[in-house]
Amino acid sequence: MDLRFTEEDLRFRSRARSWLKDNIPKTARPAHGAEAAQFDRDWQRKLYEHGWAGLIWPREFGGLGLSEVQQVIWYEECARAGAPHYINTTYVALMHAGPTIIACGTARQKADHLQRILTGESLWCQGFSEPNAGSDLASLKTSAVVDGDDLVVNGSKTWTTDGQHADFQELLIRTTPGSERHKGLTWVICDMSSPGITVHPIKTMLGDEHVNTTFYDDVRIPLTNVVGDLGGGWKTAMSTLAFERGTGFIGDQLALYERVNQAIRLAGKTRLEDGTLAIHDSNIAGRLALIKADTMAIRAMTLAQISEIQQSGNPGPKGSIMKLMVTGTSKSLSHLVAEILGWEFMEFNGDRTDHPWTYEYLWSWVYTIAGGTSEIQREIIADQLLELPRAR
Amino acid sequence: MFLALDPDEQAISDAAADFLVNEFPLERLHKVPRDISKLEAFAELGWLGLAAPESAGGSGLTIVEEMLFFIQNGRVAGPLEILIQVLAIAAAQSAPAVSESLICGKAGVALLVEQAADRIRLIGNADARYALAVSPRCASLFELNLANCQSVMCLDSSVAMYTGDGTMIRPVLEQAGGAVWQQAQIDVSAMQLGLAERALEMIVGYAKQRQTFGRAIGAYQAVRHPCADMAVRVETARSQLFYAATAFKEGHEDAVMQTDGARLLADRAAKLNTDTNIQLHGGIGVTDEHSAHLLLKRANLLGRLFGTSRQHMASLLDVAGMPREA
Repeated sequence: MDLRFTEEDLRFRSRARSWLKDNIPKTARPAHGAEAAQFDRDWQRKLYEHGWAGLIWPREFGGLGLSEVQQVIWYEECARAGAPHYINTTYVALMHAGPTIIACGTARQKADHLQRILTGESLWCQGFSEPNAGSDLASLKTSAVVDGDDLVVNGSKTWTTDGQHADFQELLIRTTPGSERHKGLTWVICDMSSPGITVHPIKTMLGDEHVNTTFYDDVRIPLTNVVGDLGGGWKTAMSTLAFERGTGFIGDQLALYERVNQAIRLAGKTRLEDGTLAIHDSNIAGRLALIKADTMAIRAMTLAQISEIQQSGNPGPKGSIMKLMVTGTSKSLSHLVAEILGWEFMEFNGDRTDHPWTYEYLWSWVYTIAGGTSEIQREIIADQLLELPRAR
Repeated sequence: MFLALDPDEQAISDAAADFLVNEFPLERLHKVPRDISKLEAFAELGWLGLAAPESAGGSGLTIVEEMLFFIQNGRVAGPLEILIQVLAIAAAQSAPAVSESLICGKAGVALLVEQAADRIRLIGNADARYALAVSPRCASLFELNLANCQSVMCLDSSVAMYTGDGTMIRPVLEQAGGAVWQQAQIDVSAMQLGLAERALEMIVGYAKQRQTFGRAIGAYQAVRHPCADMAVRVETARSQLFYAATAFKEGHEDAVMQTDGARLLADRAAKLNTDTNIQLHGGIGVTDEHSAHLLLKRANLLGRLFGTSRQHMASLLDVAGMPREA
């Protein structure tokens, strides 16, 4: 085992650090709405123009072809510099759609989409979950029939994050009539400006409208937009999710470390109702220390996972352990800070910038539910890592 | 940057596993509750001097290989005298005569776990000639008059425990600094990780076999989800321990904090996994004939060695700009 970075990695780190220092936006990201989406596009455009977009994408598709270790270094430097968070309206395009098209797309799809994703020109949203198919994704019912050169889609999708801003959607639908479960599904590129699409915002308990329900009423999508095989959509979808559960959370893990240290400093200057400095309360100190240890372990686990991918070429089911740890630790942290802050925590106008800890607290459930609930992650660990018997 | 075992490290880990599983299977403790001292045999096989320099009769390997050995030791609740001896060897580095008698296993050592004005408490080797005390500031070796100490029963009955008064020990040498303390944290964390791994394997094996309401209990989410949480605790503790041991080997600035983090997570994994293992076994889990309690009792012992969780927390909370505790 060896924790030393190569000379090349160290040079990359110093180049990233100095570029970020001079180039991070001077103004905060707007909390939501079209202004937020525009802010994200602008930042992505800037990254692209200065040669920081598509870090681990292959060079032939416009990426930088960097190593996973260098990607970790980049995210560490972003967290350190306070750069815009990479989970924003560009996330699905860069972390889902792009990698899926690279892995399963046609030459034409690659030419049409990859560069526009890297430049921030096109934003994407996800169309997997349905009102009656969430954790049990394979029970989805939104369907399409082939009519000439098109698929004609009817049904609805939900939890469509940033659907109101997206140009395209990765849409998973049933294309074989009467098919069940994982069979007969298709992964298709849906142009969000197509006639027959209606996007209905869902107001969440955070007070904002970042998720939607999307309705499809005879929406025509050309068959050339199918990624992977017609009827082979489950395989295409799993390559997307494996990517997210594998390395897609690296940036959060590292940003979490900065937040933990902020919380420790906060506990070092905040007095509890009885006048005790929060950090001198043994219960609070004990929980903070464990959260910090967990956060350090998450970084170690990220590095271990990269090393194992180097050895075996496959992140395996450990991505589920990572998701449980990152989202669970993040939740513990925001809930602990809620206690430390006392009444100050209750001041909330819905703005992430004004009241970051209250916002993080409310967001913590989104985190442990979205992208596969904690319960589903435990099922994956039990099935794939521990190979326990199944009831399903 | 590589945080997984390389082939040489894997070979050491496999060799340690082979030796310990054959010579000290966990089940041995049902027949012979207390291990007989085999220090000279351990010395001959090279397990006492893994990380000691070659000039002192060791193998010249590092804390990483030592950690890998102690993970395997933890998995079988193996002989504790190896841990105490290894730390005593590190403490006696500057005294070649003492060090030599320790590394060849001729002189045994007991560990001072309590040292008050009127009473001392020791655990470990029944023929111990020396007593070892380790603190964050120094490691000290004493001559020990064990014959006049009183033997007391220990919750972990595989371990010998003694009490006596301060006249039983006489200082021999002291090594200033926290190196042995840090080494102890890594070794204990490794043994705790081994216990946590073993507890997980024990319940996963049982959950595949044991039937209730017409199916294997491992199919019920009330069983499989706690098992998944056990696996998460094991992976978390292992990643942090590998990182900490490597940071310690490479002399990183934050090695103390990394080691303290590893200790907190390994203690948590051992404590909760050995507990959950018994609970999910149901009635059979509380019987003497089952091995689950052996893991729980060893985790209780190890969790008390070398500092309290309060001590292990301090370095993690020491962030720039923090007020000092009064």
